[in-house]
Amino acid sequence: MELTNGATKAGDWRNYERVLLPPIRDLHKLEVYENEANGYNRLRDVLENDDWTPESVTNEVKTSNLRGRGGAGFPTGLKWSFMPEPDDRPRYLACNADESEPGTFKDRQIMEYNPHLMFEGILIAGYAMQLDACYVYIRGEYADWIRHMEAQLQKAYDKGYVGDNIMGTDFSMDIVLHKGAGAYICGEETSLMESLEGKRGYPRYKPPFPAQKGLWASPTTINNVETLAHAPLIIENGGEWFANTGAEAHPGPILYGISGHVNRPGVYEYPTGMLITDLIDEVAQGVIDDKGIKAVVPGGCSVPPLRGDGIDGVTMDSESLQEAGSMLGTGGMLILDEDTDMVSYLRRVTHFYQHESCGQCTPCREGTGWLERIVTRIDEGEGNMRDLDLLLDLCDQMEGRTICAFADAAAWPVRNTVKRFREDFEAKCKPSVHPTGADLSAAGATAA
Amino acid sequence: MSHFDIERPIVKLPEQQPEQQIPDEELVWTDEEQERIEERKSKYPDPKSAIMDLLWMAQEKYGYLPPEAIRLCANTLDMDYARAYGVATFYTQYYKEEKGKFVLDVCTCFSCQMMGGYDILHYLEEKLGIHKGETTDDGMFTVEEVECLGCCGSAPMMQVTNGPYVHNLTKDKVDTLLDDLKDGKMPPFVSVTLPQDEDEMGGNRRSDVEATETYQTPPRSEAVK
Repeated sequence: MELTNGATKAGDWRNYERVLLPPIRDLHKLEVYENEANGYNRLRDVLENDDWTPESVTNEVKTSNLRGRGGAGFPTGLKWSFMPEPDDRPRYLACNADESEPGTFKDRQIMEYNPHLMFEGILIAGYAMQLDACYVYIRGEYADWIRHMEAQLQKAYDKGYVGDNIMGTDFSMDIVLHKGAGAYICGEETSLMESLEGKRGYPRYKPPFPAQKGLWASPTTINNVETLAHAPLIIENGGEWFANTGAEAHPGPILYGISGHVNRPGVYEYPTGMLITDLIDEVAQGVIDDKGIKAVVPGGCSVPPLRGDGIDGVTMDSESLQEAGSMLGTGGMLILDEDTDMVSYLRRVTHFYQHESCGQCTPCREGTGWLERIVTRIDEGEGNMRDLDLLLDLCDQMEGRTICAFADAAAWPVRNTVKRFREDFEAKCKPSVHPTGADLSAAGATAA
Repeated sequence: MSHFDIERPIVKLPEQQPEQQIPDEELVWTDEEQERIEERKSKYPDPKSAIMDLLWMAQEKYGYLPPEAIRLCANTLDMDYARAYGVATFYTQYYKEEKGKFVLDVCTCFSCQMMGGYDILHYLEEKLGIHKGETTDDGMFTVEEVECLGCCGSAPMMQVTNGPYVHNLTKDKVDTLLDDLKDGKMPPFVSVTLPQDEDEMGGNRRSDVEATETYQTPPRSEAVK
């Protein structure tokens, strides 16, 4: 897609008014949320207005084309419609607040600054799918924010917004906060369910899919915090509004987490489809010391990094990023300046995956360890040129051969960093030597 | 210098017959704790699902989780010890061995790495005279290298004993933190202000927090490659 003159799919983003985190003082307090942000009125509307049925709420979300903000980008309305007809089993929602993808720090902003929006979203989703309870899985490191949310949730219970017979209707739903204890893999939906059930966080085989057999063998849907926080806004402003905000293929407001070598890192709310260059140069006020950009990781550690010379015209939505050879992921951007050593970057990334692999499937458990050891070898100057091909071969052996997508997520950055920044790796490898002793790196040393 | 010690096992297995660390008379829940356990159990269709909460409670009570503490949790929920032990060893935040009074979890994951997380880690190691994973002789500090703590905008950062986050670390800030901790003063909860809030509201939106900070990048002299 041709984009000129700073025009973006995000439209007039400089005058964008925030909706997920609107500028209202003390918005996290229930009374402020009620009085100044139309709080819980969207839920009231859904429960009391006969125009809203579970089907019509789901359809509105389908119209909005909201796509999951947790990383995979699956259409949320479609996911909701996978839930089977109610039977005698209880039905659950699991809210994924595990947020442990490196480079991602956006969900915490909602939990801290606008928790009731998330609760309201949970309840609207609960009405749409006729659920009995929602379990919010929050990573254990967020202990301070869990306490903060517990206090706010209690206020919502006291006010009758959560619990039995919400707002005097026959709709009842509980929200339970569950504290994790430090495992990246528990952000994977089936692993999250295992952990909620009080087990080791080993991902499950699919099928059966969570909608058929999820938490405690009951129908379950898993949504990210930000995804659920969009639900009240879609009910209030309509699916069309949402679908017309930002990039068409991946619409809506989104929280961008910008970190790394920029002058003003942080979480920013803008529509999807922002030019990466706008986000770096204007929103984050440029790279530190006006250096050049070596690489941009657009959506958390698991997505392939883009070369700094290839980001012109690329926008932050699934379509444009896929064309550029990456993914939107969680929208957590890491910017690396021209002096960054990509081998050392990849070494840290592979270390992360080695540490966080749950160890259930052999290709992942062993593969992540091998990836780290080979990259470490290269980083320390002990690597050979053929190690680069060995890395790529190892990625082939891991991708698609495990129960969950962790091994793929570990392989993608390796494959693409080696491919796109090969010169960094070659510079650190020992020169190739032919068995006869000929120096193959010398000029003209072809097919001697 | 090697940043990573890939030889070190991730989980230290207990010895064959570990000596009991906590005397039997202390291996009971108080009435208050019992009440909390019942409350947590009631939240799940299967009470055994409360095991993670119980392990957290036991860790708060005893400081760490020796086998007998895990056994107490398992017995309380009427589940197999092996299963509870499996849970305790899967998650990194459960301490399977005794730690210092304050555990300094320094994040070095890629955003923090780029902004000088290793500088901070090595500075701490040097200052306290220990390697990561070790505890000072006086039992005050344990230093650990951890994976992403979800605070990449205020990198480098660390967490103190599964509690408060300390953002935008510099060497000076580490010095102050260590002095405060030696005086028994835990760092306060810090609310990190959104950049858009700064522009539109002139600062942090919360009036109920004492300490606020902004996302910032460390001074260049502090950052490392």
